[in-house]
Amino acid sequence: MKIQNIISWLVFLIFFAIFSGCREKIDKRNSVNLLPPIYPDYIEVTIPSSIAPLNFSIRNENFELIDVLVQGKEHKSLHVQGKSNIQFPIKKWKKLLSENKDSSLQFIVSIKQNGNWKTFKPFNIYINSDSIDYGLVYRLIAPGYEVYSKMGIYERNLSNFDQRPIVENTLITGSCLNCHAFNQNNPSFMSLHVRGNNGATMLKINNNMQMFITKTDSTISSCVYPYWHPSGNYIAYSVNITNQAFHVVKDERVEVVDKASDIVVYDVKSNKLISTELLKTDDLETFPAFSPDGRTLYFCIAKKMDLQNDYKKVKYSLCKISFDPSIGKFGNQIDTLVSANNTGKSVSFPRPSFDGKFLMFTLSDYGNFSIWHKEADLYLFNLSNGTFRAIDLVNSENTESYHDWSSNSRWFVFSSRRDDGLYTRLYISHIDQNGNVAKPFMLPQKKADFYDNFLFSYNVPEFTKKSIKLNLMEFKNKIMSDEKKQMQFEK
Amino acid sequence: MFLFTKSYFYDFLSRPGGLTDYLSTFLMQFYFISWAGAMIIALLLILLQYQVFAISFTINNYHKTDYFLISFIPSFLIWGLLCNENISLNILITSIIILFFVQLYLILKKRTIRCIFFLFVSPFLFWIAGGEFWIFNLICIAIELFYYKHLKKTDYFVIAILMVITTSSPIIFSWFAKLQYPLNRLWWGPWYSRYPIISPTVFLLSWLCLPFSIFITILLPEISKRRNSIILKSLLFVIIFSAGIFLVIFSSDWKKEKIMAYDYYARNEKWDKIIELANKKDPDDPLSVTCLNLALAKTGVMGDAMFRYFQNGVEGLLPTFQRDFITPFVAGEVYYHLGFLNTSLRYNFEAMEAIPDHKKSVRAMKRMAEVNLLNEEYNVSEKYLKLLSKTLFYREWAKHTLSIINNPKAISENTEWEKLKKYQFTEDFLFSEQEKDQMLGLSLLHCPTNKMVYEYLMAYMLLSRDLKHFYEYYPLGKEIHYKKIPSHYQEALILYWSIQPQGLDSIPKMIDAPIKQKFIQFVNDYSSEEYKTKKKLFQKKYSQTYWNYYYFIK
Repeated sequence: MKIQNIISWLVFLIFFAIFSGCREKIDKRNSVNLLPPIYPDYIEVTIPSSIAPLNFSIRNENFELIDVLVQGKEHKSLHVQGKSNIQFPIKKWKKLLSENKDSSLQFIVSIKQNGNWKTFKPFNIYINSDSIDYGLVYRLIAPGYEVYSKMGIYERNLSNFDQRPIVENTLITGSCLNCHAFNQNNPSFMSLHVRGNNGATMLKINNNMQMFITKTDSTISSCVYPYWHPSGNYIAYSVNITNQAFHVVKDERVEVVDKASDIVVYDVKSNKLISTELLKTDDLETFPAFSPDGRTLYFCIAKKMDLQNDYKKVKYSLCKISFDPSIGKFGNQIDTLVSANNTGKSVSFPRPSFDGKFLMFTLSDYGNFSIWHKEADLYLFNLSNGTFRAIDLVNSENTESYHDWSSNSRWFVFSSRRDDGLYTRLYISHIDQNGNVAKPFMLPQKKADFYDNFLFSYNVPEFTKKSIKLNLMEFKNKIMSDEKKQMQFEK
Repeated sequence: MFLFTKSYFYDFLSRPGGLTDYLSTFLMQFYFISWAGAMIIALLLILLQYQVFAISFTINNYHKTDYFLISFIPSFLIWGLLCNENISLNILITSIIILFFVQLYLILKKRTIRCIFFLFVSPFLFWIAGGEFWIFNLICIAIELFYYKHLKKTDYFVIAILMVITTSSPIIFSWFAKLQYPLNRLWWGPWYSRYPIISPTVFLLSWLCLPFSIFITILLPEISKRRNSIILKSLLFVIIFSAGIFLVIFSSDWKKEKIMAYDYYARNEKWDKIIELANKKDPDDPLSVTCLNLALAKTGVMGDAMFRYFQNGVEGLLPTFQRDFITPFVAGEVYYHLGFLNTSLRYNFEAMEAIPDHKKSVRAMKRMAEVNLLNEEYNVSEKYLKLLSKTLFYREWAKHTLSIINNPKAISENTEWEKLKKYQFTEDFLFSEQEKDQMLGLSLLHCPTNKMVYEYLMAYMLLSRDLKHFYEYYPLGKEIHYKKIPSHYQEALILYWSIQPQGLDSIPKMIDAPIKQKFIQFVNDYSSEEYKTKKKLFQKKYSQTYWNYYYFIK
């Protein structure tokens, strides 16, 4: 009797497991000529074939069940149901995407309401065969003011939902981590600042890790915004004295201004900071970025103003200066590519594509800390003909700011506050060799409501070609040690 | 903040000590109701005492109830620790859980089973309870040595191996789980205190007290059969209880308790309670005085009453921003009520980010949700409200607010919000911490009927002893339409006029006769010989006036 009872329970459990995994059949559907209000908005986006599933949910509708049928070429399809959100099985998703490169998938979304099914107008997602890098590296930090809590640098695998910490500030109590940078997305060349009591700049070249004190007698601050030279022999940095101020009106919060800034270039082999008088003027030079051939340095420059009263008049132009990497010398002329006088606006974060065709930048009404400017948008500069335009398809009513190119220059990731106006989220968009941009998609998460409860902003997203290898013990020991190399300034 | 969600729970489970931290965070949310918090702590301390006694009683083969009182020692110690508001309830819950597993260990009679149990439970305890886990190891070893006895040489070897394996748990877990904490923080449990534990001596004492209280009874002789057993037991009672109570009283920081009381009332807008507290004894620290001044302003008596209490300058009016989680909370309340919504938002956000153990604050989140709502940042407000709707005490408020979030008419029915929206700045400027008087002035120019801002501006001038600017800004209050000029303003005005070339002869009629007379008396007393010898009496005579502050309070 006892064994029979056990078997009965087992059978019951098996049947329960089978039937609970079954989809509910839709016998009758009421079709509506409306697109489904899905969140995140993945309607008509273009994605790489290796991307993790674009799981989503439905907003502004009450429902008991969601049903999604994904149809590709040759009647291949994927059919998923969910109670509150849709989670595509990763293997089946990847298979479907790989079978539909340079084609599209049609999504038919239905929801069950009061026992009846409502089917929305189908939409497409386009699969582009251009590959995308292995992953993203970004900082997670609360969108605060002066005080920081837990933060860290994290790596996210784009083909699944795995996110792992590279380094968190709990490792070194009270520290601030910022400005991670790689050489054209190659993490074998890595720069990272640590601020705080044991502050230093970490440079890791292949497996060689060293800590540097970057403040010198001839520079106004420690090195700030980094950009690697493609050869790996130089790193351009800005040096900035930065202040924060706080708005009183409801549509604004923070204003970050540079009281002074210059540009220097660190010569890795000689441990020297080099510069030119043209980049160390009383004006505000910042945001250096090397061209892919390493012979041009792009940067932003603005006239210094009275910060208390005239901070809205501080507008940065986009300029360039030539650079000879063989001798580590700059040209003697600055060329202006986008003039603040002409646009009436301010340029920040100029970043050239690695194929040398375009340069993307952020444009805002004034200033350089564009993440706090709702009007900040992304612009694309055509390096062959000198024209530039707003990338309307990726811009929103809210902030678009920091961005990075994929290694093959066919994708770019950017920060946006379009979701709620405060918490920065990441979007990825495709761009072809002619500069045609596709609708961006939000970085997918396993659960569609992940971002609702997430109280961190994604900061400085950078593509990475491979997983980062950082020996935490070595990192910690070296940061805590007094043996840090002092960068020298070449006068 | 404690959320009733799966992801919140899993986040705790993903780190050592997470489960006990989860339980303690769950229980600590009830501190919101002071008697509930006290009852929870009391019950847990009694449970701990019971466990210590039960284990001790078993180890002594169910004899030696004489030493029942020794089982109170760990509870007294932890009670003393918990008087520090930065020590988490975690430390008490961890001790209870560890002793629970010790009690299970005692039930197992076969040595092999005890070995296996020990091998699995010890690292498991590290994962759920954190750094205190090695106390379990210590107690179990002591049980083998003193209770089971008859150990062979191989048993010692096995014990040693098990000790090495289990005490290396933090290193092993740290490596597997890629925990990014300094190893010493993992040993002392990252979440027993808000702050990283630099010197764990106090924790070590409370932890070691557990095995001490259990095993000391083995060494002590039975006293119940002695002639003087009653005297001995009474002596034990007096020593333990008086030491325990002394420890608790000594560990309590009554000044902090007062500040917390003022802050609690301010946060819950119980202005009369604040004034009642101040009437019993003047607060003298800036944060309490800040709360008092806020209460006086909210009850409309600031201009008449603020100098009847101790004032310590402008820091007791608008505290300077500090990068901690205490001052910005208090100051944030003031800015909220003044209508500096962005500043209040910033202070609350910063205070929350400054919490050393990285936990979030429901108090801050509620205020942030409100201000974002008033700023028409509905998406951000909704985000915070959805989180708050998953808490226990803010759920109803959050759900109600969510239901009206897109309904301006419903929002305007909240009179406080409606008033604050009226005070909202329409012309932008950058807030200056160093020029708070200017900030108040700009606010008043924007909304001349903002009585609280006017009174804060006047108070700022008076506290700074800047009579010139007080006199200059005083007419800005004409839109407030006072029925009667507040008495402190009259005192300041008469003082100002008295130091003008025209002197007292030019005092206008608007000054009440009693104040005028009192001032004349003050001037006479101040210049008399008696002042030089009886200064304290003199101060006491005029302690309710602005003049006392102006001349005597440093």
